[in-house]
Amino acid sequence: MKSQVRTEVRRSKPMPRSSFGPFATSASLLAVLASLAGLASLSIGACRPSSDALDPQSLPENVRADYQVFARRCSKCHSLARPLTAGITDQGQWESYVARMRMQPASGITADDQVVILRFLKFYSDEERRKKSEKNGANQAPAGSLPSSTGSPMPTPVSPMPPAPNPPAIAPTSAPAGAR
Amino acid sequence: MKRVRIEAFFGFLLAVVAMLAMLSPREARALERNFAGSAQIDYHFVPSAKSFRPGASAFDGFTTELSAKLAVDVTEHLSANMKICFGCHGFETDMMYFDYRVKDSLNFRIGRFSPSFGAFNIRHDPANHRLSDKPLAYDMGRMLRFTKWNMGVLPSPFPDTGLEINGTKWLGDSVQLDYAAYAVSGFKGAPNGLDLQFRDSRTPFYTDNNSRPSGGARVAVTAKLGETTDLTFGGSGMFGTWDKYNNQTYAIVGGDITLRLEKTTFRAEYLVRRQQFSTDDPGQLKFVVPASGGDYFMKHGAYAELEQALTPDLDLIGRFDVLHREGNVAKDNPDLSEKSTMLRYTVGTAYVLERGLRLKVSTELYQYSDRGADDRKVDVSTHLGVAGTF
Repeated sequence: MKSQVRTEVRRSKPMPRSSFGPFATSASLLAVLASLAGLASLSIGACRPSSDALDPQSLPENVRADYQVFARRCSKCHSLARPLTAGITDQGQWESYVARMRMQPASGITADDQVVILRFLKFYSDEERRKKSEKNGANQAPAGSLPSSTGSPMPTPVSPMPPAPNPPAIAPTSAPAGAR
Repeated sequence: MKRVRIEAFFGFLLAVVAMLAMLSPREARALERNFAGSAQIDYHFVPSAKSFRPGASAFDGFTTELSAKLAVDVTEHLSANMKICFGCHGFETDMMYFDYRVKDSLNFRIGRFSPSFGAFNIRHDPANHRLSDKPLAYDMGRMLRFTKWNMGVLPSPFPDTGLEINGTKWLGDSVQLDYAAYAVSGFKGAPNGLDLQFRDSRTPFYTDNNSRPSGGARVAVTAKLGETTDLTFGGSGMFGTWDKYNNQTYAIVGGDITLRLEKTTFRAEYLVRRQQFSTDDPGQLKFVVPASGGDYFMKHGAYAELEQALTPDLDLIGRFDVLHREGNVAKDNPDLSEKSTMLRYTVGTAYVLERGLRLKVSTELYQYSDRGADDRKVDVSTHLGVAGTF
């Protein structure tokens, strides 16, 4: 595809070089680094009221492993805020939702993962509903009583998950390894 | 006549999908709808631009991208997805398709969707990537000099109308195989144009311009190397004609790799487009057209990106981009020569302000092989944006 120049490009009158070139580069990089340092100190030093992820330490011990799988798999293509703020409380809808996500290319979600993720989402939905009920001054909904639109029971847990006697409130602060 | 046949073909497919949906075993349950959306408001500040004046207020640097998506599970096998976005071209139907899933490894998608190509396309929504802008290879209008370069290799998203067959298959517990093959209306351009005109993909009713589908396919393999490590390799290709008379072809191929290791994600992609153009009027070209082989150009694009979570709420992102173009160009294009290259170095951060709301700050250094109309080989720009989901 070798060829000769056919026409001269008519250049516009050369613009004076901006004296902001090096200054702008340095200033911009400095701004990024400063904001990085500032945000990092904010992030580490303060207790965040609401993060994209949940603090595993705030979850019942028997839920943490499920959460790790949820956080790892579901943060691959989108932030965890997507499912955590979806507002879904119906287990049947979660089943369809997670099944659709499992079909996404390179999702890395196996059939076993799907069971674990759904188990965590059920716990999370129950917790959200309980907190909402408490906030509204209504009677606390019994844990694990979410109705399923399909009428089908929850998927069989991989490992039995005994109900936590007093499920602690979820305090979002830090995420597990690899989860964002 | 050809157009009638194509439309009849797609109409028939739609009818078949609808019929299968009606015949499929249906559980007695209500329709499940999931509504979601995202928005990104970004300010792109280019202090090195020739129009830059110190102290000037420049609200023209703001861009806004909005999207709203509705997913409906009609039956156990059939789902509908609709996504409307507002951005580069006003309101656009980013998705409106039906998925008919026979099983995990066999799904029929029909309607308007982004054909499976590359790895970035899955995360093209601004809420799903950490920097304000897309890689140069997939850029749709935020890169500097984008009009003269006519954007990247394959502007993302690239919704099109047609049919895709895709599926996912697990080989054991640690290897996932994804495939997709599709026929869509394809990219479009003027009959004697020199390049694709992406705006022509948004005509009323999204009709085709040449009645000949473009085809493509993608294969990707994901290996779970450990609980927190996975590796994906992918390859994609697309081929078609883009002019009214089906004389000019385009072919795009690409390869990608993604590695997730604990809190670190590495991504790299390479795309190349070979595209023919009309040489009927040599006067509109900048360089002499050789006797043979002068009727096409090659456009290469690649990026490598490293994303590191520093804290649960803070990510650091570094990206290196390159665009390279070889071939003849329009006579009045000052920014491109026979061989032109654009490099971009980006460093940025993304910080979670509140669940579902992310602050994005990044700085970019552009380097060009050609001085262009601005008579400069370097540009600097900064992005400050927020992206939210609901």
